[in-house]
Amino acid sequence: MEDAASQLERDHVHSVYEKIAPYFNDSRYKAWPKVRQFLQDQEPGSIVADVGCGNGKYLGINGDVFKLGSDVCRPLVDTARGRGYEVQVCDGLRLPYRHGCFDAVLSIAVIHHLSTKERRVRALREMARVLRVGGRLMVYVWAMEQKRRKFEKQDVFIPWNPNPPSSPAGGRRWGSGGARRGAPQGEEHVVHGGGGRGPGRGRGPALPQGPALVLLPLPGLGAGLQQPGRAQAARPGADRAPGWAGAPRAGAGSGAHPPVLQHLLLLLGARLGGRRVRPGRPAAGPRDTPEGKPAPVFGAIVGGCSSVPLPDLRQASSESLQDVQLSRWDREKPEDSCLRYYHVFREGELLDLIQNHVEELHVLQSCLDHSNWCVVAEKVQVWKI
Amino acid sequence: MKLLTHNMLTSHVKGVIKGYPLLIKATEVKVNEVEFKPEFVSRMIPKLEWKALVQAAEGLGQLNDLPNELVPDYEKNEEFLRKVHHVLMEVEVLEGCLQCPESGREFPISRGVPNMLLNEDES
Repeated sequence: MEDAASQLERDHVHSVYEKIAPYFNDSRYKAWPKVRQFLQDQEPGSIVADVGCGNGKYLGINGDVFKLGSDVCRPLVDTARGRGYEVQVCDGLRLPYRHGCFDAVLSIAVIHHLSTKERRVRALREMARVLRVGGRLMVYVWAMEQKRRKFEKQDVFIPWNPNPPSSPAGGRRWGSGGARRGAPQGEEHVVHGGGGRGPGRGRGPALPQGPALVLLPLPGLGAGLQQPGRAQAARPGADRAPGWAGAPRAGAGSGAHPPVLQHLLLLLGARLGGRRVRPGRPAAGPRDTPEGKPAPVFGAIVGGCSSVPLPDLRQASSESLQDVQLSRWDREKPEDSCLRYYHVFREGELLDLIQNHVEELHVLQSCLDHSNWCVVAEKVQVWKI
Repeated sequence: MKLLTHNMLTSHVKGVIKGYPLLIKATEVKVNEVEFKPEFVSRMIPKLEWKALVQAAEGLGQLNDLPNELVPDYEKNEEFLRKVHHVLMEVEVLEGCLQCPESGREFPISRGVPNMLLNEDES
């Protein structure tokens, strides 16, 4: 499981960012006000770690504070370095800093890229470790609950297109990296839950022009986290999820095996990039391209396993896989490997991770901000007898 | 990598107990002028591992008479604060590596960026 999780993150987080780094330019997008304020509230001479700093979007705020940025993606770190910031390449699960040396730690749009609850908890614990007692941690993660966008699963793959079409929306696409880790935000995106299923259709107002999202339920990872009890109960059925024509049994809950995952990833690659599928009707509501044609939507649901019944699975096997819509840009330059993995957080989930799994942290604030859950927590002294 | 950064970095190789401070093996060092902010420096001092800072500066030939022990009442001692400022903020290691004092593992520094990634068997 651990190997599978880290492999998934390598393939669908780290290597995607490596590829998109040269195109990744969010400098014209302003820092989120709450994050800016958090940095400005630090006393002069404070030391702040920005874990998952990307290209350094937040490292320039408040010149009276010393900031260290770190990221696993070397090209993004190099960009930050080029802007004159102090940065390191490292893994958020193993921070190379001594205990208690930071007055504040930022984690903006980062831990939603970790594919198991254990890894998300480990990242939070690691950040708590390097904070001093009384120091503060600010965490942003992408929210599942959004006004104009609906996720039907918590574990999703979001495509990133380095060559957006020259449509009006194309310019805005660059803003999809509004969080420097590229958390889609604003109104550029819509997630629809499966090519052709009712609720996924006709969400016209939020439908992006040109590129759209793929929502791919991910078997095994995260599926059992919300309702562990039910995950167990549902396992026998889930193991035979109908979405997987030819796929080996995909485990539910935490029971996925690396080969299953690898198979899934291969399958995804084949479905999304390796094959050209006949264009069909748009998978979601109409939105015209500049040419006046309905914008094609690159959308697929590939089935999977979950702790709850998935009505769209049947749809996936019988229709979606045969009827994947490819957008214009995708036909021009297939980028099947630029699917970023996200675990979107339900309301209260981030709070639960911190309150119930990181005893050194005491939550001060929690809110929904820019389609992200935001928590500010303080490190407290834990007396062990 | 500034020496202030080095002061925060530690080896995190699995099983290592005493991974601090990392030994700097520099092949290229640069000194940049950085604006002196006395309050910033004096607030930074109590957060430092002083011995590690002195050792690092000495290793790079940048000690500049910085004393082995922290001087009392440094807040009002501008001369002292300037020396600390120089070592903390102006000296930068561009190329070389950081070596774990216990395991000997070397972390490369290239173009001013330390690569602290571990292999799977080290984490």
